[in-house]
Amino acid sequence: MDTLRTRRSFLRSTALGGALSMGVPSFVAATFDQLHAAAEGRDVQTATGKDAPILVLLQLAGGNDGLNTLVPFTDDDYHRARPKLRIKADQLLKLDDRFGLHPSLAGLKHLHDLGQVGILHAVGYPNPNRSHFRSTDIWMTATDSSRYSNLGWIGRYFDNACPGADPTVGIAIGARSPLAFAAKKPTGVALENPEYYRFVDGEGGDMNGGGKFYRAMNRADATDSGGSVGMIGGAAAHSGSPLDFLERTALDAQVSSDRIREVVAKAKNQASYPATRLATDLKLVAKLIAGGMPTRVYHVSQGGYDTHQGQLPAHQRLLGELGDSLKAFLADLKELGQLDRVLVLTFSEFGRRVSENASGGTDHGAAAPLFVLGGKVKAGLRGEAASLAPRDLVDGDMKFRTDFRAVYAGVLENWLKTPSAPILGRQLTPIPVV
Amino acid sequence: MLSPISAGRWDFAAAAHLLNRAGFGGAPAEIEALARLRPAEAVARLVDFSGTPDTTPAPAWAKPDPRRAEWLRKVRQATADERRELQREFQREQRQRMLELQTGWLSRMVSGPRPFQEKLTLFWHGHFATSVLKVKDAYLMWRQNEVFRRHGTGEWLTLLREVTKDPAMLVWLDQAQSKPDHPNENYARELMELFTLGEGHHTEKDVTEAARALTGLTYDRLRQEPTFRPRLRDQRDKTVFGRTGNFDGEDLLKIITAQPRSARFLTGKLWRFFAGTEPSDALTEAMAAEFHRHGQEFRPFLRTLFLSEEFHSPAVVRQQIKSPVQLLVTACRQLERPLPPGPVAVNALRALGQELFNPPNVKGWDGGVAWINTNTLLTRHNLALLLTTGENALPMMARKPAGKKLAGRAMARLSPHAADPDMIFPAEVRRSTDRLLAEVERRFINGPLQAKNRGALRDHLQAQGTLDDPDLLGFVRLAMCTPDYQLI
Repeated sequence: MDTLRTRRSFLRSTALGGALSMGVPSFVAATFDQLHAAAEGRDVQTATGKDAPILVLLQLAGGNDGLNTLVPFTDDDYHRARPKLRIKADQLLKLDDRFGLHPSLAGLKHLHDLGQVGILHAVGYPNPNRSHFRSTDIWMTATDSSRYSNLGWIGRYFDNACPGADPTVGIAIGARSPLAFAAKKPTGVALENPEYYRFVDGEGGDMNGGGKFYRAMNRADATDSGGSVGMIGGAAAHSGSPLDFLERTALDAQVSSDRIREVVAKAKNQASYPATRLATDLKLVAKLIAGGMPTRVYHVSQGGYDTHQGQLPAHQRLLGELGDSLKAFLADLKELGQLDRVLVLTFSEFGRRVSENASGGTDHGAAAPLFVLGGKVKAGLRGEAASLAPRDLVDGDMKFRTDFRAVYAGVLENWLKTPSAPILGRQLTPIPVV
Repeated sequence: MLSPISAGRWDFAAAAHLLNRAGFGGAPAEIEALARLRPAEAVARLVDFSGTPDTTPAPAWAKPDPRRAEWLRKVRQATADERRELQREFQREQRQRMLELQTGWLSRMVSGPRPFQEKLTLFWHGHFATSVLKVKDAYLMWRQNEVFRRHGTGEWLTLLREVTKDPAMLVWLDQAQSKPDHPNENYARELMELFTLGEGHHTEKDVTEAARALTGLTYDRLRQEPTFRPRLRDQRDKTVFGRTGNFDGEDLLKIITAQPRSARFLTGKLWRFFAGTEPSDALTEAMAAEFHRHGQEFRPFLRTLFLSEEFHSPAVVRQQIKSPVQLLVTACRQLERPLPPGPVAVNALRALGQELFNPPNVKGWDGGVAWINTNTLLTRHNLALLLTTGENALPMMARKPAGKKLAGRAMARLSPHAADPDMIFPAEVRRSTDRLLAEVERRFINGPLQAKNRGALRDHLQAQGTLDDPDLLGFVRLAMCTPDYQLI
């Protein structure tokens, strides 16, 4: 009875009450409130502290045409390679006397002028793979192009630097966790839409007894303190029993579902966002950050960059969506007082072929510029641009000048404040990002 | 090792395990029918399906497209705008066909006469993981599926030969583009690394040499057929796994399947799929030997596997996390309900991370715990709601927001049926809480629930008082949300 009373008062005292009485299933060990309290406590103590830096990975899926994103307008080889697709100097948003941004990137230009954008030239990796899937995997796992890994670079960061963290230490906006999040000890949650991120109570069935059912579950569970508490508390990786794994994930789902929906209901965005998919996702991220989620890494994706044909209108729309969404996102973060603890890192599986193809598009290429955004970034154009001279190209693609893993090393060391070698499996000279 | 299970241990639970793993499970009556046989007979009933006719018709479009040449000509002559319109039309048609193909295969798993054949076909689909996202031709995807269905139980070399010249595979791993001066290494690499030997059992040199041996084999886009073009063939000597000669593709496959590693790799992968655990070294050796004993033929090998003590050990039974396909299909069979409407079923699988004909990459689905994350687990709980009450509260999955809106509207018109409680709970079962619980465990878990979950379900039932049909469906739904139910 004590347990029940404690539980009821707990429910009354938190915004979770609503969610729980709706019947979020708990098949998991221990009293929910203890777990929740443990998780709450951890937010402050561990890597997931309130002021801890946050990384937002922004994937430009499909292979963004870097050359028409950051245009080397004085380079004759650019104009020769792109008779139809080239963007003329007078249309560009110039950053210096050699490079300009695509005209639809006004949002990004605005952020650049505020000193909130760093741009790294020609980022890629040796022996580039031109398969979307494979090259995406390479960026997500940070392995050599000849090697496979089932662990993502962020997953290895979770394993190495965030033991015992709340499951929401990583949130992927989307149906699934990206490979980048794959860890030895599964951590991180995938969230498509907070509306669906819950146990839906049936309309037809009489589920009013559901609450009782869950209380009963919890009471039954209270008798044996299962492994899940240990997990949250940072015990060893899961024991290998699939049942334990399922129970822990069910708990993670419940904790994060309640908490995410609580945060989303409570937090308010301070900027208006365009009505695009990417903007909607970033808006949710801003809300989660503002609401105090202990999340260290978010993953967001914008698709459609595979512009084999009819590139001009498609790319214009995509970059417009990108720039405007980012502008709104950073403005929002600033209003929310969160800008200085957020770093956005864009990546795309590859850039595109230097020469345009016969169908008004571009084919899969290799290196491309990478953008870093935030209140504390090392702003401006950095690194060495790649030569577009035909003799310098490899199979029609420009050679990378900066290895993306050195950028990851910079993000890990300068921003997330953790040694990069155990995570990247090698010692690289980090590219400073902040 | 691999000795047959004794007749004394053959009971309802063992028969259920066999039907769950070698097929997609079933209602209690079906399990009981298997339990009444002797173990070897039960295995034979599933595995030796040749005597069971399967009259599932092929889709009307499952043949080379007679208008292909004309269509290509039209595309060539079209203006840019017309070309886009033609392409859109083509894509619309392809999408429709893929939906038909996905739905047709799922229906076959739910109610077809040869569940083992479909389960093994699913294994091969995950093994030779090919995605329509790149192949972009429903006919080719259908055709590859038929290769798995027809040759999946046969000899390894034959299957490998068929897959190597399969048009979907030729497109998927770029053999279609291979030229003698720059042989494309994509297929050669995955052939060794993912299909036959596993990572770390070949050199880079083996890959480039194998790619040369495969030159000449290409794809005729017009006829939608594999073809051999002698002028594309590299006629020089190749050295693969220490052997040198003017090898062609056939020689290459023979050399590879003769590698001792090949049998260990493949039987290990079959074990992981059907048994769900990591085989010990001793078991791996025993399986490889058994595979060789049967001339590298799958059917007799799998017969041994399904009968074996190891396959029926407690470490295996009810210890495998259901794949999304297994979850959906088995639930339909247990609930004795039809598959939900095609778009609803395919959307559910997409949300759960296993869309048929669209594996994430050539490695296929990782399976096991990789199926489960917080999002997919909540989606599994809500799929249980859909399959019991018919209420669709799953997120709408589409690649583009525009597609999402369209598909969402279309889906709102498709209301899945609720399950029929009379199928599950005969009147006499409804009279007592204990009998209801026992029936749920027998039908849905095929064994006991964890005590705490059973206790909580009992309390829930007792608190409900009189149970009407929606209550019973709600009860089944809750049982389907236990962690126990995610295992098979």
